[in-house]
Amino acid sequence: MCKRKSWAACWSRAGLVVALAISPLVAAQTEDSVMWDYTRKMFIGDATYSFDERIRVELPSFAEDSMQVPLGVDASGLNEPIQQMIAWADYNPIQHIFTYRPQAGVLPQVSLPFKVQQSTPVRVAVQLTSGEWRVGSGYVDAAGGGCTLPSESRMQDDWVSSLGQISAGRFSRASGDRFKLQVMHPMDSGLVANIPSFYLEELQVRRPSGEVLIQMQLSPAVSENPVITFDTATGAADVTLWLRDNDGNEFERAL
Amino acid sequence: MPTLITWLLALMCAALSSASWALNYDLQPRQIAENTWVVIGTTEDFSRQNGGDIVNSAFIVTSEGVIVLDSGPSRRYGEALKQKITEITDQPILKVINSHHHPDHFFGNQAFLPAPILSLEATQRLIAERGETYAENMYRLVGDWMRGTEVVVPTQTIQPGVEEIGGHRFEWFAFSGHSGERADLVLLDHTTGVLFPFDLVFYQRAATTPDTPGLEIWLQDLERLAQMEFRQMLPGHGEVVSDLTALKQTSAYLAWLHETLQGAAAEGLSSSEVMRLPIPQAFSELAQVRQEFERSVTHLYRHYEQAVFTQ
Repeated sequence: MCKRKSWAACWSRAGLVVALAISPLVAAQTEDSVMWDYTRKMFIGDATYSFDERIRVELPSFAEDSMQVPLGVDASGLNEPIQQMIAWADYNPIQHIFTYRPQAGVLPQVSLPFKVQQSTPVRVAVQLTSGEWRVGSGYVDAAGGGCTLPSESRMQDDWVSSLGQISAGRFSRASGDRFKLQVMHPMDSGLVANIPSFYLEELQVRRPSGEVLIQMQLSPAVSENPVITFDTATGAADVTLWLRDNDGNEFERAL
Repeated sequence: MPTLITWLLALMCAALSSASWALNYDLQPRQIAENTWVVIGTTEDFSRQNGGDIVNSAFIVTSEGVIVLDSGPSRRYGEALKQKITEITDQPILKVINSHHHPDHFFGNQAFLPAPILSLEATQRLIAERGETYAENMYRLVGDWMRGTEVVVPTQTIQPGVEEIGGHRFEWFAFSGHSGERADLVLLDHTTGVLFPFDLVFYQRAATTPDTPGLEIWLQDLERLAQMEFRQMLPGHGEVVSDLTALKQTSAYLAWLHETLQGAAAEGLSSSEVMRLPIPQAFSELAQVRQEFERSVTHLYRHYEQAVFTQ
């Protein structure tokens, strides 16, 4: 293969070998970034925990758009009911991404896009009903800047007219129902000059009885106009989505 | 029999030569038709090893002067290209063409000044708007290869239509599929039969989609291109072909991408699930296909999701 331009090919091959050789190091960084002790205490305090590879934290290898990085979390491999899962990015200025509390009948999996400021490990701490914490990790490479750039909404004048509009879809899956929704909201981080933080902070899915099926806290690290998915284990008839932002605006629609 | 010393010397020489090679583009112009030379780049992604030499450029030596088709990813590339041109012809540079606004196609402009630099109007606007951001990104991606590179916005615009220059009958077209509304230049040289579709066609390398106004628009453009009569075609990335192989490959990949995103949206898949879908064997050998597929999900999936949502 080492013909002409092939110098470049050979070099990139050498690069690949190096990358393979250092991948354990990357893995180690994922679990032991310099921020790990700090962020862990921030979210789970001094509780004992263990890393658990059955918690899948899915991220693209590179953040093509640092303002919209898709994150998929799936803790169903644990085969145990959970109380909550907390997701954060070690090197983000706003580390917290979301806290998800699925009730009985809801699968411990969720996906949404978030912003990254630089390459970072992403953690998902899952608390089992026993109180025990298990931690899954992922890593995303990024050029960065996602938290300190103005949202696209702020570049337009008409975002107010679509504020809180919810689009939604419901899909039959082998495991039950998949809900996918998009809420129009600038999700301003507060880290951009002259734009105060303005973001959706609470999401609930409720039954007609008022019973809460899903409870989720969102941080301003979640991307603007986020598309969120979650899954129920059985068909969930008549449910309502309710959201509230940090200005007290409430948004609601049937799913 | 080589002694240990000889081996050590050889190793040192190898180390030295590769170090000095490191920041020199090894451009090898190849004549493919009368007056027509191409410089084929690698089918890799930007890296500090390749200095962004991932793109094809070309030049046509007319009797009025040389027309340069795309100036490459950096000032240094532009200088290397200009050097090669002067080794081949005494003709001055008549003009430089920027086929579209992506950074691997115009950052060599500086090297050719004060020659006029031409592009479609939309491309001129896009380079003016995004040039600085691209420059920052390029410095990050390829590092020192970019030293001294600055944005040079095309100085003149080019109108679609037929134009006679120095014994060549050129026809310029404005397409949209890869770069946005009337932002993709295509050149057909009726004199030599060489078609330059630039980045509307990728060969043996997965297509990039950050600015496509829609894969269906791109696919329509390719159908129009397929109707053109040509003897040879230089894709924006990948080798020269003398038939529709490259065009059909790009078309098949984009059609698969379109159907895959459409199908995924209909099933309610999340972006991160779509990114992990398998790449069919037909495309698994395309350079950068997994990375480009992931990127395309980021660029495009949202539009497919919108189509299945209820308000």
